Amino acid sequence: MKNLMTIFMAEFKKSHFLYFHTNMIYFSLLVWPIILFFSAYYSFKPFDTKSENVLSEYVSNQEIGSFLLIGYLGYIFYFSLMQSAFQMAPERARGTLELIFLSPVSRLAVIYGRAMANLLEGVWLFFVFTVLGLFFFGDIQPHNWWGIPLSLFLLIISAVVWGGFLNAIFLFSRDAGFFFLIIQEPLLLFSGVRIPIPVLPIWGKFISYLFPLSYVLLIYREIVMRGASLFEVSTMIYSLLVVIIVFILLTSWIIRKAEKNSKINGSMALY
Amino acid sequence: MFLTIQATFRRNYLVMRHSLPYTSIIGSLLSGFYMILFSYLIYKIMFNGKLDDSFIKYTGSSDYITFAVLGSTVYILSISVLLIVSRSLISELRQGTLETIFLSPASRQGYFLGCMLQGLMLVGIEFIGILVMGFFFGLDITNINPISASITLVLIIFSFYSQALVLGAIMVWFRDTYITQNTLITLMGLISGVSFPIEYLPDWLQYLSKIMPLTFGLVAFRETIMLGGELVSSFESISYLIMLTTCYFLIGKYLLIKVEKNILEKITE
Repeated sequence: MKNLMTIFMAEFKKSHFLYFHTNMIYFSLLVWPIILFFSAYYSFKPFDTKSENVLSEYVSNQEIGSFLLIGYLGYIFYFSLMQSAFQMAPERARGTLELIFLSPVSRLAVIYGRAMANLLEGVWLFFVFTVLGLFFFGDIQPHNWWGIPLSLFLLIISAVVWGGFLNAIFLFSRDAGFFFLIIQEPLLLFSGVRIPIPVLPIWGKFISYLFPLSYVLLIYREIVMRGASLFEVSTMIYSLLVVIIVFILLTSWIIRKAEKNSKINGSMALY
Repeated sequence: MFLTIQATFRRNYLVMRHSLPYTSIIGSLLSGFYMILFSYLIYKIMFNGKLDDSFIKYTGSSDYITFAVLGSTVYILSISVLLIVSRSLISELRQGTLETIFLSPASRQGYFLGCMLQGLMLVGIEFIGILVMGFFFGLDITNINPISASITLVLIIFSFYSQALVLGAIMVWFRDTYITQNTLITLMGLISGVSFPIEYLPDWLQYLSKIMPLTFGLVAFRETIMLGGELVSSFESISYLIMLTTCYFLIGKYLLIKVEKNILEKITE
């Protein structure tokens, strides 16, 4: 266990030194999400929000702002991990990845160390923005304060697992930009960031349950916006845990596959 | 200049034929698809197809789907043209061929035009592809005024071209593509009226949107397609568009001379 922690912390530190030496990171993790959030917010403006609609069953029209803020907070956690996974490509080219895989370290610890570093250092600014925003929109009175750290904890855990999964995929392929398109955009569309999941058509719901973010956002909104009790969201928490375990198993399987693949085909730097 | 256009076109065409950037084509088509799908879902399913009266007041039409599809299509077009032209220089820099180009007496504008015209071969496929997808979601172009629409489209492409000159100079100056291009692209998505009329934005953002050719391009393009307007009827936005194109072109040209000097000085040092 101690050994695992050392590897985890070492990778954490390395990621920190590598990617957080410039202020540029704040563009991608603060400025862009704020712009995207407002784009989504104004996208709702052309519609008739005064009369009854499907949406008002789930989110009242005054709550659209806070609904979107929580959605984008979850999304930015996941997006920061997409960026961490993208950094796998330069690491592969420089040859450090190969060195790591030559050593007997636990692959999972390395992967999750990377993910954790990017997550914790990247998203705190947007988190501040969200908290300020929620007060600015003013229509939110969290009924149970205990729910906020709990849902934040679930968000962090699920995001790190998601990031580990992406990192593992990027181990496999050099042209990982393509995965960005087929994973990231549906994540934004179907995991309830901008559109409530109950509103989605049945095929959309099916896609949404593949993303851990969907469960986290459902739990988060139930607790913060509806004041639901722990008992009421327990089924969702259990489903989230199942999804997380499936993703961890999948990640470790992909890593083993990827390593085997590169042993057969040549060096990590080449493929 | 014509010789440079031809030569650049030919070179880039050869590059394209040897490694067809199919991921970027699929990428653009998918982005367009997701944008249209999002608009469709919120319009048809979340709000039961009910629009606010203000939308009709601002756009003169009650056809949100056509509004959104045209917005997404031209937005994706703008991204492609902007990136093709602006990234050309920095790609040369990364490949190590920039100095050779700067040392040769070839026309700089010819080089950029060559890059754009060749790039349009693929961009055209994306543009038509996204429009075809739009038809499945309910795009309606029965009111189109084909001549005005085509002329407007050409003007729009050239406005992106001149904006790309400025962007390209900034990219080479800061040696950065990731932050510069994505900040501009996300900002354009917010303030240029891609998925909602800009009148909903706060005043200061509306002023900011006036420096984006995409804003006026979209107004004019939608007018010719949705309302079947003549060029004269969108005179205001067209003249703004031409004015912006000229400004960006002059600024871009000036900045590129500066950048070129800066790079040549670094080589001789």
